[in-house]
Amino acid sequence: MFKFFSSTNIYLLIEKLIKFINSIFFLILVIGLTFALILSPPDYLQGDAVRIMYVHVPSAWIGLASFSVITFLSVLNFIFKIKNFYFINKSLAPIGLLFTCLAIVTGSLWGQPTWGTWWAWDARLTSMLALMFFYIFYILTFKLLNEEELIIKISSVIAIIGSINLPIIKYSVEWWATLHQPASIKITGSSSIHSEMLLPLMVMLLVFLLYAALIFLMKYKTEIIRIKKKNIKRN
Amino acid sequence: MITNFITMNGYGLYVWLSFGVVIISCSVVYIKTKKTLKKYEQEFLAELQTLTLEEKNKALRSSKVAQQILATSFKAN
Repeated sequence: MFKFFSSTNIYLLIEKLIKFINSIFFLILVIGLTFALILSPPDYLQGDAVRIMYVHVPSAWIGLASFSVITFLSVLNFIFKIKNFYFINKSLAPIGLLFTCLAIVTGSLWGQPTWGTWWAWDARLTSMLALMFFYIFYILTFKLLNEEELIIKISSVIAIIGSINLPIIKYSVEWWATLHQPASIKITGSSSIHSEMLLPLMVMLLVFLLYAALIFLMKYKTEIIRIKKKNIKRN
Repeated sequence: MITNFITMNGYGLYVWLSFGVVIISCSVVYIKTKKTLKKYEQEFLAELQTLTLEEKNKALRSSKVAQQILATSFKAN
């Protein structure tokens, strides 16, 4: 079982997964864009501006999900010292930062035609901005520090403190009066989004997830090569 | 119909800008990540070249990753 998780097996698996994602990505991207830009109906209130949802919502979800995973693995790494988690987090953080920035920018572009402003210091927007800064601080620990033990400690502390922000982002629209609308899609309970919009959203989420997986795998593969390069003369 | 598609009933600027920002940012990150990966693969191969024949064979025998990188570089060339 543990032999399966050796860097060699992981490397071979990564190669196969990258090839698989590359082979299906463009087809799903074209389907997703066709649904999002052509086939899905305009909103009765927001008109065609609602199409921004198909890039904004998946970006925000992946930004949040990445930080949740980073926090979980940071805690596990802090306790059990599993080196793989360190590399997973290092590879995942830039993806989370990218999607958080995209959620903020596309949110701003959606805000102007619907709220009449690019930005407001309301709870949801401000907490998303805070998440972006947590990502930046987290990534900076890898860039600025050299000692691995110290990086693990400081990055774990940043991830744990940053994780307090995650429920604030999620429930900000319920706890405070914000410009941002409440969640339309609920895992438990009925969603208020129409299926004609939900389907394109799910296809675009799949596109974003595949892209995130592709970048993650490439970054993780880079990390494995970096380690193997260090160890090559020791073999 | 095409004009409607481009103007998005007055929301074209916001919609196209949103999709454009996402596509451009994701493409830049993809290209940068791929370049970094290639750079490390090249550096790994260069490191392998500095070894003696015996060390090289030993490294290749003990590391499937090294074999794979070497195989990939042959395919690419």
